[in-house]
Formats: sequence, C-alpha cells, structure tokens
Amino acid sequence: MYAIAIHGGAGAVPRATLLPAREQRYRAGLEAALDGGYAVLERGGSSLDAVTEAVRILEDDPVFNAGRGAALTREGAAELDAAIMDGRNLRAGAVASVRHVRNPVELARRVMEKSRHVLLVGPGAEEFALEEGMALVANHYFRTPERQAQLEHEQRGERVSDLVPPTKGTVGAVACDRDGNLAAATSTGGMTNKRPGRVGDSPIIGAGTYAKNGVCAVSATGHGEYFIRAVAAHHVCAAVEYRGLKLEVAMRELLHDILKGLGGDGGLIGVDGGGHIVMDFSTEGMYRGARDSSGRRELAIY
Amino acid sequence: MSRPQTRPLRCLLLAAAALLGCSTLAAADRPLVIVIHGGAGVIERAHMTPEREASYRAGLGAALDAGYAVLEHGGAALDAVGAAVRTMEDDPQFNAGRGAVLNHDGLCELDAAIMDGAAGRAGAVAGVHHVKNPIDLARLVMEKSPHVLLAGQGAEEFALSQGVVLVPESYFITPERVRELEEAKRAAAGREPTAPLPIRPSATKGMGTVGAVALDAQGHLAAATSTGGITNKLYGRVGDTPIIGAGTYADESCAVSGTGQGEYYIRQVVAYDICAMLEYQHRPLAKAVDIMMHEKLRRTGGEGGVIALDKDGNVAMDFNSAGMHRGVRDSHGRREIAMYRDSN
Repeated sequence: MYAIAIHGGAGAVPRATLLPAREQRYRAGLEAALDGGYAVLERGGSSLDAVTEAVRILEDDPVFNAGRGAALTREGAAELDAAIMDGRNLRAGAVASVRHVRNPVELARRVMEKSRHVLLVGPGAEEFALEEGMALVANHYFRTPERQAQLEHEQRGERVSDLVPPTKGTVGAVACDRDGNLAAATSTGGMTNKRPGRVGDSPIIGAGTYAKNGVCAVSATGHGEYFIRAVAAHHVCAAVEYRGLKLEVAMRELLHDILKGLGGDGGLIGVDGGGHIVMDFSTEGMYRGARDSSGRRELAIY
Repeated sequence: MSRPQTRPLRCLLLAAAALLGCSTLAAADRPLVIVIHGGAGVIERAHMTPEREASYRAGLGAALDAGYAVLEHGGAALDAVGAAVRTMEDDPQFNAGRGAVLNHDGLCELDAAIMDGAAGRAGAVAGVHHVKNPIDLARLVMEKSPHVLLAGQGAEEFALSQGVVLVPESYFITPERVRELEEAKRAAAGREPTAPLPIRPSATKGMGTVGAVALDAQGHLAAATSTGGITNKLYGRVGDTPIIGAGTYADESCAVSGTGQGEYYIRQVVAYDICAMLEYQHRPLAKAVDIMMHEKLRRTGGEGGVIALDKDGNVAMDFNSAGMHRGVRDSHGRREIAMYRDSN
C-alpha cells in the first residue's frame, strides 16, 4: 500500500470564528498538496519526491505558514526553516533561518543530496543555494498583509487575529511509496514575532522531522521548543521500534502525556512501514489530509 | 487491633523501599561523577610527542577538576558541565571557543548546547562568530529566552541584550588552525562535494569537540557540548553539537555528549537514541553505547565517540575512532585521563 499524509499546522482557529470562505481556501490548499503528492506515488515515484512535492505546494500557498505567507519575526522579516529525511538510508538535509529561498524544502533536499552536510543555516545556506544555481527571491515575496497584521496584533499584545492561520503552524508531509520506502518533510516560518535567529523543531532531525524504513516517518507542528526538548519525532520512532508500540499509541503518548507534561501542544502526522497513516493533535485542530491506495482520502481541520 | 493494620503497611513500605533500591541507588551510595571529552580526533599515536601528550592531559585535567570542584561543593550538575566545558573552550588546543577549527572561508563558527536532565530544559546556539564562551550563551538561551536554539546574528543580538561582551573573530583564530585549514583544502581538492569530511585534517593533527556530563548530589544529570565543527566546513554548516538529541542530551536517567562526524550523529539522533535504548530496551548504559558506536554508526558511517552517564553513576566512554581525549572523576576516588584505546 502506498500512502501520503500532510499537515498545514496545528492550533486551528476556533471553529465558531472560521469563516466558510476562509475554510474553503484552507481545504483547497490542502487538497492541492495532498493530490500533488499522491500523484507522484501513483505514477510510481518515490516517497521522497512525494513529500517534496506536497510541501512545495504548501510553501507556495500563502495561507500556510511556510514559504510565501510565512509568519514574521519581530523585525518583520520572514525567516524560514525546512528539513527532509529519507527513511531508506537515514540521509537527511535541513536549512534554518533562510530569508531568500523560495522553496526551503528544495534547498533542504539539495543539502542532503549535493553537500556533505545535514544542516546549513542563514547566509551560509543561501550561499550554498546560489552555488547550486537556485535563484533567490526578495524577502518581501514571502510577506503577506495578513502576516503583517498578525505581527502587529501580537506586538500590541492583542489576541492574534482569528482571521489568519495559526502562528504555531508549519507544513509537512510523510509518505510510504510502492517499495515501502518512507520519507518525511517539514517547512515553516516559525512563530510570529519570534526573535531573529530563533530555530524551531522543523529543521531539527529527530525533533520535527524523522523517517526510518520499517519503523515510521513523522512530521510535527506545534510549539517547537517543546518538540526539540522531547526529541519528538525520534521519540515516536523509538517507541515504535524499541517498545513495539503501534504508531497511534506512540503518538498519543508523546502528544498527550509527554508534551502536555512539559507544557507544550501541537500535532503530528505519521506513516508506518505498512503505509498506515496516523494524524493526532493536542490543539483545537490541525489542518490535515490523508490519502492512500486503498481508497482512503480525507481532509480535515477539527 | 493495631497489629493487623500496621503489618500490611510495613510490608508495603518495605516493598516500596526494595523497589526504589532497584531503580535508583540511595543518595549515600550514589557517587558524584563528572565525565569529559576533548574530541575524538586524536593525533595518531606514532605522531604524538611526549610534550604534546602532556599538554592535552593537563588541559583535560584542568577541565575535569574545574567541573568536579563544583560537584564537590554541592553544586549542580548543570554548573559542573558548564565549568568543565568553559575551561576547554578557553584552552586553544581543543576545538571549541579559542582555537576552534576554521570553516572554508577561514572563520570560526561556533556551536554549543546544554541540557538540564532533571527539568528537561535545554539551550543551544549555532554559527556564532563573536561569543567567547558559547556554552555560557547556550545556558542564557535556556534560562533567559523562551527558545531552545538561536543561530547566527540573532544569537549574537541576544548575547548583547544579555550583557555578554563580544570578542573579535581574531580572538579564536590560532596559527595552527590556519595551517590545518590549508592542509584540509589541499586534501579536499578533487574530492566529491558530498564526501564526508574527516574528523581531523590528518593523522598528525588533533582536534575534536569538547563536552561533559555530570551527576550531582541531588541525583540530577546534565550534559553540555561545544565545538568549532569540522575543518573546512561550508559557511553556515551546523553539526550535531547544538542539536538536542543528536550531540547533546540529558533526562532524569541518562546524559550523553558526542564528538565526531556530526552529520551521522544528527541522522542517528545519537545522544537521545542511547537514552531510549536504556529506557525502553532496559539495556545497560555500556551496552547501549556499544550498539550505537559499533553497530548503528558503523552501518551508516560516522566516526567519533561519546561519553555517557546514567543516574546510578555508571559511566561509558566509547569511540570507533583511533582514540578520544577523555577523563572521568568521581567521589569514590576515581580520576582517569586517557586518549587511546588501552585506557591511557
């Protein structure tokens, strides 16, 4: 069985305040990413290509907090983080704090495939992008009026606008292809009003992103600092591998016991070695979607 | 009437005491322990001079004793690992702080992390150029910011906001590291851009990350690691050191600090995985470390070593490289410093 799951961030806006037109936009965005990734699997492509494609589509969609439409730092700039991992051989690539890379997930993949490193940050990561022949874009490409308004609200200490997507949002995808290979990818703008230089869990292999064939692939979204401290994504894989827990049990334990205990919330999507998808969260909602070759296809927010 | 009531109660208390005895040693028996490493990139034995060896041993001894002094005075494991790592950051023969290795552009980019096992708190910095003691800044990130990891200029901005004095890049750069970079660049010419960088530029050069793990009188564990990374690394490259779970990790039962080819340590989530094997597979610390160093890392590649300590004071120091600068000191009178396989 082949399968893909995606998320567009946890901490969804309260149901009562989500306007139908707005909800429609989220659903359309999730659908495009889900089907884009699934099409790769359907034509025999790898899970690595499928998660790259799904995350790239979410990065390009300004309603999600990654790539265009990313949350802004306290200085009003977009600073992007992304990671990708190949479950076949535990190879991984990640970038943090890039300001001019249109699709950070693609740069993360280049780091994995074209450099000897796993994680590149800041101007050094952009230097590498240029060496790889990638065109850089101006920082204002990423900035949207909604995110600007959200930053101003937050800086005035007001409740974050209900009209814009969650500040803790992140996008991610996990997939299992026809050969049973697993992959995971995550991309984010981080928290609104974050300190410049702050790196969350998304580009941290083992925290926000992890994949190991025969065990599971996991992508996380939520309050990144807690996910780093709990080594969240790898924790789930270790619970599956060493304790023989089912993926849903391992994810529930992490979200509802361990992270709750530390004071953090968020969500996870995962797929196990058999292509079985699990999506769970401790927030009010999580923008998410799942599709597999047995006919399952769902999009949900709450 | 009181007898039948107290007896089951006493049995229960005895059973509880026995159970506790199995899982943790009583405070009186539990030793104070500090373990340090000064990197897995040792100079090949044939190239080691007596002067050089004495100098490494003196540097390791100073760090070990600085950390141990904190524990001995009733200080916290967190303070002890901070003191040990700071001592090695200030010593130019180790690859952290002053004397850190240089990136491809000839500059120092420093990474560090610290984790408080009892509280599960952590702080880390990556890619800083002007912070004299990155380990102290990592601790400030943990204690004075809502974040865990700050990178680059943002991390230095935070340092300034905390009153940390910045130093010029020239403070870190030593003539020896400049020569090593030139050598490493020559060796890298013609090599594939994806080929992993060696943990030392050549058999005649010593280098390596520094780190410490400690167990204090309260039974709390902590871990800290600091590094300049790998010679000739790309600008912006971050290794395993500041990645919680990869190069640095501590919880209530286990603390680990790593040194080696960081990319592999990130991919295997080395430090956390050792603790997970301990907790979930109930493996002894030494066995978990052995599996990581000699099975898991052997499979993917990844040369280096780790130091690890559990809540009962068991120590593991292991490596799959030619050697590892290391030391251990505890309240039972053990004090050892070693560099090569045969415990010396």
